[in-house]
Amino acid sequence: MNGIRNLIWWSLFIVTAIAVQALLPGLDVLVVGLLILLQERDYKNLLWLAPLFIFLQEGVGTRFFGSSMLLYTVTTLFLRMGQWLFEVESFFFIVLLSACLVAPYYALDWLMAPLQNISFDTDKTLEKCLLQALFLPFAWRILTLTRRWTRHNEVAE
Amino acid sequence: MAFRRILILAGILLILFLGMYTWNQRTRTLDEVSTNIGLELAGAVLSPLRAMQDSLQEFWEKYFDLVNVREENEHLKARVEELENLVMADKESLAELERLRKLVDLPQDPAWKALGARVLAGRLGPNAVLASIVVNRGYVTGGRPNTPIITNKGLVGRILRASPHTANVLLLTDPGSRIAVISQSGRVFGILTGQGPDKALEVNFVRRDAKLHQGDILVTAGLDQKFPKGIPAARVKSVAPSDYTQFLTVQAVPLVDLYNLEEVVLLEPTGIVRLPEELDDAPAEFVGPPAPQKTANP
Repeated sequence: MNGIRNLIWWSLFIVTAIAVQALLPGLDVLVVGLLILLQERDYKNLLWLAPLFIFLQEGVGTRFFGSSMLLYTVTTLFLRMGQWLFEVESFFFIVLLSACLVAPYYALDWLMAPLQNISFDTDKTLEKCLLQALFLPFAWRILTLTRRWTRHNEVAE
Repeated sequence: MAFRRILILAGILLILFLGMYTWNQRTRTLDEVSTNIGLELAGAVLSPLRAMQDSLQEFWEKYFDLVNVREENEHLKARVEELENLVMADKESLAELERLRKLVDLPQDPAWKALGARVLAGRLGPNAVLASIVVNRGYVTGGRPNTPIITNKGLVGRILRASPHTANVLLLTDPGSRIAVISQSGRVFGILTGQGPDKALEVNFVRRDAKLHQGDILVTAGLDQKFPKGIPAARVKSVAPSDYTQFLTVQAVPLVDLYNLEEVVLLEPTGIVRLPEELDDAPAEFVGPPAPQKTANP
């Protein structure tokens, strides 16, 4: 039963993420899903959801394949490093993590621009990264609250 | 020891990543796979959401329409009467236009077929770094890469990437966009180049003695074979001699409001090649300078 709820939750998450990304250009909503998967240590779902997230972000984007892969690897590394020092499921840690992620987001745009021979706009990239940093903790908070629905039976037991 | 292992592993992973990146840059295999999966899935999600948005908007608008319908009806009745008078006056002009069209016999370009498409989203996701939009037509439904995109007001851009039913469109404001254009009045050639979403377009390689003025309309020249000839693309904003080059510095603005696009038209190439019309009065034989006469041998 929980498996079906989980599947429904992830399907709804992907639909919502695409809709929010369409509303706010440049935003990465799927990274919140990756954080939740890693925090829950749900490696079974991570196995199919992480490639799907990467293909989705790369598919709708206009860059050569590889940026999302690199970005999600860095996010995973940051989360793993944070585990040594902090409680990863606290809101404070997510705020800190999203602040730290500004640097790789910015660096990736800066690095990839000359590789694809495209112009790099400093202000716009910084704006995008800051928006991402502000968005991530709140989206994470809302989504973790809704995750309780999928663990309904576990909580009852 | 453990730190050394991590460093070696990181180095191997980086080399593998760079190998994959360069291989993909050459072959575009992963780009195609990700476009077919990611863009198609995004299109499948956004299409019903857009339809739902349209229905809700229509319902809301209809409600407001009902509120104001009586007042508007009176106003429209008066307007209809006014327009009927105008139509009567214009009928003669229309008939004349029909006659003139037949007389000139302007041919329709059979090389392009128009297809309507719905704009699903603007830039989508963190990897959408170019000025682009997403439309609900893909390579199965007429939206192949490089297909020109227009509206009734003018040129929008061309398709950059396509999945079976969804495509990413590169807007003409993107710095990577280059379009051969010609001015409508002075027939001055140039290359229309994007400078970014909020910046004016640039027209490069315009001769210093060219008769180009502020307000002139630039249309596609059709020289690049990517866009049909004669599609209005931009209006000239300013013209000034350049301090550094032998060309004019020309700035232009797009004719289409690229921020508020809802529907667009795709010009699908039909594959029909228009041959140059044969001249009716062409001579049957080659006419050239007279052949040199044979000199008599002494």
